[in-house]
This record gives sequence, C-alpha cells and structure tokens, in this order.
Amino acid sequence: MFNPDMRILVVDDFSTMRKIVKNVLKQLGYSNIEEAENGAEALKKLRAKKFDFVVSDWNMPNMDGLEMLKTIRSDSELKDLPVLMVTAEAEKDKVIAAIKAGVNNYIVKPFTAETLKQKMEQIYQKLYKN
Amino acid sequence: MSDEMREIIEDFIIETQEIIDGLDEKFVELEKDRSNQALLNEIFRSVHTIKGAAGFLGFDQIVELTHATENVLKKLRDGIMEATPEIMDVILQAVDILKKLLEHVKNQDNQREDLSDIIARLTAIESGGLAEKKSEEETTGASMSEETAPSDETPQTPSDEAPHRVETPQGPLAAEPATQDRNREPQPQKESIHVEQTIRVDVERLDTVLNLVGELVLGRNRLMKITSNLESRYADDSEVLSLSETMAFLNLITSDLQMAVMRTRMQPVKKVFNKFPRMVRDLARSRNKEVELLITGEDTEVDKSVIENIADPLVHLIRNAIDHGIEAKDERIKKGKPPKGTLRLSASQEGNNIVIEVEDDGRGIDVEAVKRKALEKGLVTEDQINSVSDKEALEYIFLPGFSTAQQVSDISGRGVGMDVVKTNLANLNGVIDVITEQDRGTRFVIKLPLTLAIIQTLMVEVQGETYAIPLATVIETVKIGKDEIKTIDTQEVIQLRGEIVPILRLARLFSISDDGNKERCYIVVVNAEDKKFGIVVDRLKGQEEVVIKAVEGEIINFKDSSVIAGATITGDGKVVLIIDVAMMLQFVTASEVAYV
Repeated sequence: MFNPDMRILVVDDFSTMRKIVKNVLKQLGYSNIEEAENGAEALKKLRAKKFDFVVSDWNMPNMDGLEMLKTIRSDSELKDLPVLMVTAEAEKDKVIAAIKAGVNNYIVKPFTAETLKQKMEQIYQKLYKN
Repeated sequence: MSDEMREIIEDFIIETQEIIDGLDEKFVELEKDRSNQALLNEIFRSVHTIKGAAGFLGFDQIVELTHATENVLKKLRDGIMEATPEIMDVILQAVDILKKLLEHVKNQDNQREDLSDIIARLTAIESGGLAEKKSEEETTGASMSEETAPSDETPQTPSDEAPHRVETPQGPLAAEPATQDRNREPQPQKESIHVEQTIRVDVERLDTVLNLVGELVLGRNRLMKITSNLESRYADDSEVLSLSETMAFLNLITSDLQMAVMRTRMQPVKKVFNKFPRMVRDLARSRNKEVELLITGEDTEVDKSVIENIADPLVHLIRNAIDHGIEAKDERIKKGKPPKGTLRLSASQEGNNIVIEVEDDGRGIDVEAVKRKALEKGLVTEDQINSVSDKEALEYIFLPGFSTAQQVSDISGRGVGMDVVKTNLANLNGVIDVITEQDRGTRFVIKLPLTLAIIQTLMVEVQGETYAIPLATVIETVKIGKDEIKTIDTQEVIQLRGEIVPILRLARLFSISDDGNKERCYIVVVNAEDKKFGIVVDRLKGQEEVVIKAVEGEIINFKDSSVIAGATITGDGKVVLIIDVAMMLQFVTASEVAYV
C-alpha cells in the first residue's frame, strides 16, 4: 500500500468537503495533506512541490477537476501522478470523460473510510503490480 | 462527538449558510434571465455541494431535499425545462425548507421537517408534471431512482465502468469539460477568479481588538496632553523635543491602526441587500403587483453592528413601499405610469456617513390624509395642524401609534410602525428623512455613521464638570448675556437672528447645583431630528475625538439617564459623559420647538 507519509493534495471548492476528505484520509493513517480550492490553485501547488497523490472534486469554479486532470496528464513532470476523482452519483455519466482523460479511479460521495481505502488499494495495485 | 467532527459541522453550517444566502438572489436573477447557463450551473453547483457534504455528515433530510432540488435544477440547466415562475416558486420553497433544516443542525435540536409535500412537488416537476419544455426524456431521469446510500456503492475500477452506456446530455455544460484550451476565460468564471484571501475570525476576538485599540487611543490622547504640557514647560529641552517627535509619530500610527481595525469590522451592505430581491419578488407576487427592484451601491461598507441592525428598518420600508406605495397594475396604467413599479434601494458613502435610500415610484404619501389621521388619533391638536407645514406634517408618520394603512394587510400593518423604524435608526445614531410627491413616489433617506465606536465631540463645561456633545449634532455656538434668556410658559428660549430657539440647562437636567445667575454663558445650538434647540453651558473646551464606552448600571442623581449616550476618558484622564442630544429633545416643550 501507499506510504503513510506520502504527500496528498485535496482539491475542493467547499472547505467543509476538504476537511471531511482530510478527516477520512487521516482515519486511514495519512497525515501529510494539503488543500487547494480549485484546479488552477491545485496545479500551482503541484508544480511548486512534489505530491504523491491527488484527491479532487469534479465541479469547481475556476478550472474543474476534469480539466485539471487533463493538464496533469499532459504535463511531463506530473503525468504519472495518481489522481482519484470524487464525484456525486448525479455526475456518474461524466465519469467516462474522466476515464478517457486518464483518471486512476473515482469515488462516489458520500464515501466511508473503508471505501476510500479500497479505491486507493486498487490504484496502488494497478500502478505497481505490473 | 469528536472535536474534529464538531469543527467540520460548524464549518458546514457557516459555509452552507453563505451558499443559501447567495441562492435567493441568484434565483431572482434567474427569473429575469431564465436561460442564463452560467447562473444555472452556479446554482446547481451550490445545491450539489451542500448535498455532497450533508451526505458525509449524515444529514439525511438535507440530502433528500437537495437531491430532489438538484434533479429539477439539472433539467433547467440542461435546457430540458424552463425556469417558469411556477417552478421557481417550488424551488424557492425548497430553499426555505433547507434554511429550516440548517437551523435544526445549528440548534442541534434533532427536529425533522415534513418533506413529503415538497419532495412530491419537486418530483412532479422533475418528471414533467409541470411545464415541460420538451417531451423527450433524457437519461438524466434515470439517476432519480438510484439511492444515495454509501454502502450501495460497490467499488468499481474505471475499466469496469467503461462499458457503462451513457448518452451525454446535449446541454452546453456537458460539452464544456471536453474543451482542452486551458486559457479560456468564460464570462461566468470571471467573478470567481479574484477569489478573496480570507480567514474566519470570531467576532468576539475582533471586538477585543477594537476595544484594546479604543484603550490605546485613550492612552494616546493622555500622552499627547502630557507631551504638550511638557513642551510648554521645557521648550528648550532636547529630550522633550524628541519626545514630541516620537509622540507625533505614535499619534499617526495609532490613528492608522484605529482605522485599520475599524475596517476589519466593516462589511458590504450587500449582506443585507442580498435578501431583498427575493423578498420583493415574493411580496409583489402575493400582492399581484409588478415591482422591479434596482439596487445600487451594495458594495458600500459599514460597521458590522450597523449591518446587523439596519435590516429590520429596511424590511419595513420596503414592505410599506410595495404595500402602500406602488399601485396595482391597472391603477398605474390609468395614471399613465409604466405598469411595472420601480423600487430603488441604494447605498453610498458621504464622508463619515453612509446614506441608504429607499425610493418607490408609487402614489406618494397623501399629506392631508396624514394630518387627518394624526388628528383622529389625537396625536396632535387642531391648532398644530393648521400652523404646520407639509414637511412637518409628514413627520407625523414617525409618531408612535400612527399608521396610514386603510386596512391591515398581511404585508405591512403588523403593529410595528414607522416610529419603530425611526427608533431603531436612532439607536444607530442615524436619522431618517422622507420626501414624497403625489403620484410620483416616496423617497426615504437614511443617514448613518460608518462606525459607532468613535465620534467627534465638542467638550463643554458645566459647574466644573466636563461633558461631551457629539459634534455631528452641533450647528453653532453662541455667547449670550443672562438677560437675553426669556421664558415662554415654562420653556426658556433665546432669540437667535429673529428665530425663537428653546434652551435646556444641562445643570438642571443633571441636578447639578446651578445658581443660573451667571452674567454670560454659552449656548450650544444643536439639531436633533430636524429640531433645533440650545444647550446652556458655562464654558466651551474644544473639540476631541473620543471612543464611546457603554455606561453600565443606573446613573444616579440624573433626571433621566437616557440622555447619556455613554462615557469616555479624555486626554487629561478624566471620565466624561457623552450627551445623547436626540434624547434631550423630550425635555423641550413640544410647541416651542423651532424647526430647522
């Protein structure tokens, strides 16, 4: 599984949501977490220092999650960064676009720590199994 | 509950409240511009965000309600339906219930609301029960049947998900994320680009800072006094000279600091104005009138305490304007006016004051009717009516117990009158003025100080005691001889350039022994509620900026402690009482009051 010390960026425009996600991540033993309010801010942070994992919301003002994902994948420095997209059930239809854009996995909110753990494990498996 | 959880819930309450506050306005705007995609998406996102967080926190009723609302919003956003007033009514109702649900979260009262009716209505709209634009059902309808239970979500890897057949809705939003161009800057996002860097601070902490700065200002004032004393005594001393220089610097910094702290408490009046579009919309709809609300200057900033207390008076004025001011459509057409009434709400800054105006283009206030009513209610005598000017007669609407409404309606006439409006404003050191023209409309002009904490005062002395009179109320000061004071009935008056001005003696009001026999004295002529009167004092000491401190408990020996607005500490370390000029007015015999 991922190193508990890895640096995670939580991206969401709603600060309550950022705290919730952070809280769930903490339950899983991750404590090295930073936040960004939207895709644009996230990219700025990602380019400023090394992050190991991104958990991002979808619908945000000033660069949404999908666009951020595409930018990450097209950036030579960032392209291998694991990205987990948080979506709502109503946005399921759009997941396809995210998959095409190269998202590592997605999780539907509200989710439990257990579900998040499973998703992260799946990502880890895919990345390092082969 | 863990501390972390509690903190998250507190955050949720604050953030959700902010979102809801903004929603009302957006909805009303949407009604004007039904196909505004950017706005629709913003509204959708707001509701969606609330739902997402509420799901985590287990607020199932909020989830249920926002879910149903979101489904309708989605159809509006995707252009499948149009935001008709009927649909808007239901959505706005849902927002109102959402507010209640949030209240329950806030109060931790575990209370639940009956959502069955609203959910049924929303679902009916969503399934096309109400004003469907196109008959073709989109795949979006399918999402309704799925439950939002977290346990139902079996983890799926992207590859599992891929074959999932989805027809992307044709709405512009669905197409939007596909755009690769990173530099695009669509209009709707412009606003959010300069996201303000803010931190939330408990108001109590800010108040503490403000209080401390207040103390600092008082200390500065004392220090300045001492410095100037030293200067006059040891003019040649180089130490004193550098003390003066340092003092001048400190003085400047303190003033800047004071202003800066003051600004931390300032908030845009938008906070209050925000709720009016919705209110005006609802009122107008319920009264079958057409009213357009025009708001200007909503970015004008005022002290938090003003924001908190200005809402009620404004609500009252707006209700009045819609209920009594703006005529019904046919009446307006008959008068040759545009069928839609206009209500203007504006805010602007004038020096140290903020001016708020509420103006309608309705029927205006009938001055003769006001006079009749005042007489009928026994608020004035017949003699007074006959000698009064129109402007003065108009002031009767602010008298307690006055109401021009012919019948009690469900909008206005709830037992609170304009007198309450006036008193509320007076508590903020504000004044209200009314200008009206038959069939042209009515304009209420409210003037308020930007901040309540610091005022400019005129220091006066009575029998060796110093008092502060707010400078804003002072018109002029005159020096007169004892024999120039005359008595009409029981009221002492002076003649000022041909005008009779009643006077009050501070010494008597405060029961300070006063022989009243000084040969010469000073009169501070003040203006309160458009009425002019004089305050007799022994000496004028000069102008000083003071920080108002509340006086706790009863002030003994005073005829009426209501004439004291507060206390302050002056540069020479003395505690000085600040006079509430408006409250002094009650001691002036009414008939002798000279109007400005």
